[in-house]
Amino acid sequence: MHASPPLLDAEHAAFLEGGVSITAGARDGRRVPTLARALGARVSADRGRVTIFFSRRQAGPLLAALQENGALAVVFNEPHTHRALQIKATDAGEVPLDPGDGRRVEAYRQAFVDEVGRLGFPEPLVRTLLRVPDDDLVAVAFTPASAHLQTPGPQAGAPLGEAP
Amino acid sequence: MSLRADAIRDCMDGAIPGALCTCSADGVPNVAYLSQIQYVDPDHVALSYQFFNHTRRNILANPRVAMIVIHPRTARQYRLSMAYLRTETSGPLFECMKAKLAGIASHAGMSEVFKLLGSDVYRVLDIEALPGESLPAPVRDLCLLVALRGCSEAFSTCGDLAGLLEAVLDGLEQRFGLRHAMVLMLDRPGDRLYTVASRGYETSGVGAEIPVGQGIIGVAAREGVPIRIGHMTSEYTYGRAIRETVGQGALADRLETEIPLPGLPAPGSQLAVPIPGPGGPLGVLFVESPVELRFNYDDEDAAVALAGQLGMAMRLLQSEPEPPDEAPSAAEPAPLAGPPVAVRHFAENDSVFLDDDYLIKGVAGSILWALLQDHLAQGRTDFTNRELRLDPRVRLPDVSDNLEARLVLLNRRLQERAACIQIVRTGRGRFQLRVDHPLQLVEVPGRPPRLG
Repeated sequence: MHASPPLLDAEHAAFLEGGVSITAGARDGRRVPTLARALGARVSADRGRVTIFFSRRQAGPLLAALQENGALAVVFNEPHTHRALQIKATDAGEVPLDPGDGRRVEAYRQAFVDEVGRLGFPEPLVRTLLRVPDDDLVAVAFTPASAHLQTPGPQAGAPLGEAP
Repeated sequence: MSLRADAIRDCMDGAIPGALCTCSADGVPNVAYLSQIQYVDPDHVALSYQFFNHTRRNILANPRVAMIVIHPRTARQYRLSMAYLRTETSGPLFECMKAKLAGIASHAGMSEVFKLLGSDVYRVLDIEALPGESLPAPVRDLCLLVALRGCSEAFSTCGDLAGLLEAVLDGLEQRFGLRHAMVLMLDRPGDRLYTVASRGYETSGVGAEIPVGQGIIGVAAREGVPIRIGHMTSEYTYGRAIRETVGQGALADRLETEIPLPGLPAPGSQLAVPIPGPGGPLGVLFVESPVELRFNYDDEDAAVALAGQLGMAMRLLQSEPEPPDEAPSAAEPAPLAGPPVAVRHFAENDSVFLDDDYLIKGVAGSILWALLQDHLAQGRTDFTNRELRLDPRVRLPDVSDNLEARLVLLNRRLQERAACIQIVRTGRGRFQLRVDHPLQLVEVPGRPPRLG
């Protein structure tokens, strides 16, 4: 399915699946952007595909834009280190949830609570932010076309490696 | 639009970083976390421009953006649809954001990285409260309007500037719960602010000066804009910076005439608000707290309203007619005791020393010198503001100068030093000079010698 070697290495995959802050952006046919906070990520075994989760009610405009053109940008940011990775794709779209995705999102919540807890954010606040009814969860999958380091600073935007 | 930006200002104080999505000319979206969001007015917000990056390139090509902000207490998310308008690289908005960003950068350990190149101003097109759970908004233990009302009522009963300054510091302490505050007045031609009253410090620092443009107080005065910092930064703290400036400064401003500016050793939050006047700020009202993020946008609004009232009250007191001059009353011979005190006056900066102790300089110094000359030569003890205003020996910068503030400063300095000379207000625009030691006046040309 993926002829080229994956853009992400194992460490990137672990970073994406950890307790990082995830925000995704898309744009409509008039190039008007929209964005939504995601609730965890799953990287495929061959690291060629990434799936992220949203609240359908919160991400409505983003899902509509992806259906229209598939162009997606996602930033994965680790608050306590400021380490950040932005991944872009042109083939993003809604996919069915896997059976284990509910548990995966729950594990993400705990990991993010732990991550920002060390910065002083109270658990009830973080849990409220990430709480979504199970029947409202939706998955979006994409093939990373490019990835850029985005740790704040002049070096932000340096590519991880050329997309094949 | 269902919501305006003022309804979600608390989301813009940086507790939880916002995120911005832009889109390039060829349709590639880009997401960036934001280090700073500044509320401008109900229809505008500004974002910091720190690097030329994807975001920058995109907004110049395509002004439409989307932003998500999160309420730091309720966890409610808001999605804003906005359009980039312009970038400001100087002026009040820029300076206000620059001061805040320095605090944010210091807090994040990124002082080297975060430098403000510009303030990107956006028009808010739409704000959507996203569906989802939220926590109840906390009820604040202090009602700012009640506190403001109390201060306002207290101001209206003040009959003089000294009383007004007490009222504002009392109000801040008792009604707003702010125990560390000071009022500084602008000495316009000298481009300096001088501390005229303070509360909550080991030493009052009355008479301490700050150059306009330096630190958050100096920048607030220069730009006429409130500056609020929630994480403190060395760039905007005072002690060392002032000392360096003084060290390099004009000959007339040497170290031995420096009164240290009061301040918390480890401030968490600071707020400096200009006291408005007709031709620019009359001065600055400053409050600080050891607690980080102590002041929010509502606190800033309350402080701006308070400073506005203070400015109006100052101008009202100043504009009340002073009684006409009367022949000076025959002075009762004051009982003098103790060894004579040498009062030395250095002409270059009007600094006055009592024996070897520095007392005051500038306009207040020239006032004291004139009073003492008349006292010794003519035996006068009763004086009026009006005659001082017309006295060529008193170097008032212009007719609108707040002479009363100079007298308050002089009075406080004499009181604090328990000097053998005191000034007592005897009525509106009148005061009496009281001297209890023999005085020897020494006029010295030039500037005082540098000590140490």
